[in-house]
Amino acid sequence: MSAIATTGGALREAARDARRSWTPAAWSAVAGVGLAALVPFVLPGSVRVDGLAETGYLALAAVGLGFAVGIGGMPSIVQGAFVGVGAVCAAHLVGSGWPGPLAALVGAAAAALGGIAVGMAVVRFRPVYVAAATWITTWLFALGLDAFPRLSGGSRGLVVPPEWSTTLHYELALALVAAAMLAHRTLARSSFGLTLRASAERPAAAAALGAEAARLRLRAFAGAAAVGGLAGGFAVQLLGVADPSSYGPWLSFQLLVAVLVGGGTTALGPTVGVLVLGGLSLVAELFGRMTGSETARFGPMLAALLLLAVLTLGGDGLVPAAARRLRWRGTRPEIATAVTPFGGGSLAARGLGKRFGGLVALDALELDARPGRVVALIGPNGSGKTTALRLLAGTLDADAGEVRLDGADVTVEPTTQRVRRGLVRTIQSNAVFPHLTALENATVGASLRRRYGGALRTLLATPKARREARVVRARALDALRIVGLTERANELAESLTSAEQRLLMVASALATEPRVLLLDEPSAGAAPQDLDRLTGVLQGLTEKGLAIVVVEHNLRLVRSIAEDVVVLDAGKRLAAGAPDDIAADTAVRAAYFGRPR
Amino acid sequence: MDLALQVVVTGLAAGGVYGLVAIGHALVFRLTGTIYLALGDLIGLGVFTTLLVAAGTGPVTQTNVETGRYLFALGIGVLVCVAAGAGGYALVVQPFLDRRSTLGWVGATLALAFAIHAVIESVFPRSAYVFPDPIPFRRIGEGGFVTIGGASVAVRAVYVAAVAFVLAGLVAWAIDRTRMGRGLQAIAADPEGALVVGVPLSRLVPLAFGLAGAVAALAAVTAAPSAPVSAETGTLLGVKGLAAALAVRFGPPLYAFAAGALLGLAEAAIANLHVGDFELGPAYSQVIPLALVLVLLAASPPAEALEEVE
Repeated sequence: MSAIATTGGALREAARDARRSWTPAAWSAVAGVGLAALVPFVLPGSVRVDGLAETGYLALAAVGLGFAVGIGGMPSIVQGAFVGVGAVCAAHLVGSGWPGPLAALVGAAAAALGGIAVGMAVVRFRPVYVAAATWITTWLFALGLDAFPRLSGGSRGLVVPPEWSTTLHYELALALVAAAMLAHRTLARSSFGLTLRASAERPAAAAALGAEAARLRLRAFAGAAAVGGLAGGFAVQLLGVADPSSYGPWLSFQLLVAVLVGGGTTALGPTVGVLVLGGLSLVAELFGRMTGSETARFGPMLAALLLLAVLTLGGDGLVPAAARRLRWRGTRPEIATAVTPFGGGSLAARGLGKRFGGLVALDALELDARPGRVVALIGPNGSGKTTALRLLAGTLDADAGEVRLDGADVTVEPTTQRVRRGLVRTIQSNAVFPHLTALENATVGASLRRRYGGALRTLLATPKARREARVVRARALDALRIVGLTERANELAESLTSAEQRLLMVASALATEPRVLLLDEPSAGAAPQDLDRLTGVLQGLTEKGLAIVVVEHNLRLVRSIAEDVVVLDAGKRLAAGAPDDIAADTAVRAAYFGRPR
Repeated sequence: MDLALQVVVTGLAAGGVYGLVAIGHALVFRLTGTIYLALGDLIGLGVFTTLLVAAGTGPVTQTNVETGRYLFALGIGVLVCVAAGAGGYALVVQPFLDRRSTLGWVGATLALAFAIHAVIESVFPRSAYVFPDPIPFRRIGEGGFVTIGGASVAVRAVYVAAVAFVLAGLVAWAIDRTRMGRGLQAIAADPEGALVVGVPLSRLVPLAFGLAGAVAALAAVTAAPSAPVSAETGTLLGVKGLAAALAVRFGPPLYAFAAGALLGLAEAAIANLHVGDFELGPAYSQVIPLALVLVLLAASPPAEALEEVE
């Protein structure tokens, strides 16, 4: 009884959430899919439904790839091989009597395994390595199919007796593409997707917020492979044959072209790209018929030219460009409510040291940060200030000494772990995630503590995932409110002023619910009036009990916020004390201004 | 033992060409941080331009081209390769480097690769072509094979391997010793610094892109008469050279060359050698070395590759 009541309650809540987030855009998407479903019944006889269905399956594979490329930032050139894995697998299974849908699902699972294998090799690396390794994998697969005819059916391919009508295949492909686009859109806006995008845009800044890029990328890569495998598994049942030569580099290239031309950051982009490519091949066919030449050769040429044109014109794809032109903007920001009372933590460095080869970057640093107080690290350029922050945050491994957070030794803990404990750093350069909105930037920080908001739960929209998404959103909004950026919540970060971008970095860090905040030159590039705003924000944070360690060049700011100052010179602690004492210290003056002769 | 020598010679002949392609990939990577995915097809363009000028698009037998015309054709082929490589850089690499768009140059270099491939295939539509051979190797020994210690070795393969090794030595020497080579080293170390001290970056980098393809094309043309060629010949060379370069993390030229040579040796060994009754055979010869490169990448520490400026 109680289980039924709980389930009923959860379902009612889900329905309410769905109603609340329903927009006119959702209506037009439903109408679009509905109209597309009618296409086979209203078409003139000259247009073949099987071609449309095939395009649909191609679009499915492209939407999957679009997520890995557009959201994950991985230039993958191997999606065609995953389509091939799904197709070959399904063809074998159907051939030995399995039901078609089950065979396609197993094909998708096999492709996912392949995706995990390839992903393990590439996700930890920069995009350039991803491109190289996936291109090699594509050829490995093509050469493998060629070399093992027992697996691939040789030059004749594997024959699969068609079971369903082409119209049924078309409707299935349409439903799958619609579902994949919905998944793309949902994930792209979730904690998972935003953290992925952030890691692609500014890897160092995302890592400082505790993002574990490699893990997320592996999921995205494997997910894209699974969707490709599913497309291949069903497409082979439509085509009636798994032709090994059709899963080579050309297919992978076509899919990448579709994603880049349409725009992989959007759910609609890859499908639009596939449709454009389809239209292009029709044009090529017409042209070939008119000139009486072979048409097959125009396809690659036209696809290459189209891609070059779109890329050269500076596009991130047709759909994002159209969206900009139409000025699709988010809704008005909600009112933020305070969610997180901040508590302070205490951070201590004892004998902390780091050398790079023969250079001593930091030597035996002693530093104490206490709740509600600001410690400023000052010193000339190259004196080891940023190195100190990196050691404290776990971006660099210390060679000597230890870091203690609330008494616990965290010296060897990775960044993510320290951020979870409440120790977070902003990095020196202006490192907001430029193509995310201010709110989304803060959401990346707020996502660190998610437990139920992983890719799968987000897709299934489980009650826990939805509740957690609300908490994450509230926390991000609250962080924006604290730094005074609520009004700019739905602006792209790149459109903020540079002082606002520095504040946004602080907000993203605050959204991780820190107790100790490490700030690397928060005032860089700030005008005088911005300094006052920054001073106000930082003072507000100490009033909430946060401990702050700040590296700062602006001594006026240091004097107005810091209780303790540590002066570094050439990696060594030169002096420490209250700001006024430091200002009067002759050794410090000498380090800054040179010794009087 | 007799088989081993044969394997070494054929392996080094193929591997030498891979090695030169690998040098090209490594050079491009160190100069610009990009991968020239069109490199293989540029090499194909060089090979087929040579074929076009030497013998037209008709059927060729291995001997019906005179040496003078062959050399002229080779010159044209190499020139086209340099021009297309440098032009390709200006068209599909530099604009996207300026915009810091990785997806841009990946897509654009691939587009260039497929465009070149399509052009080659439309001029040479048959599935394979015989390439003219100006040197009459078949008159040496028994139809081009000599027997050394019980092993029958193809003289042509020895020649191809020797040419590749000499070219690799020349490239390494040029990078180490010539003014241009030192300029390239400076660019690889610090582009902005190089520009400040007067290295003509805007001239040298495109030229390097062109020469990277041309040197490899020279080796590919040397090797071409050994087996029928198709548009895919160049593309595959590009892929294998990339695999070799990736295996040494786009390291110094001689490392890249060694990796390429090893790749060729591995292919030949897998295709021919058997240990007792166990042998893998030709089906595995191309697949296993490429797979090994990927495994090597997966097993390697990422620290250096993930290095990033904050």
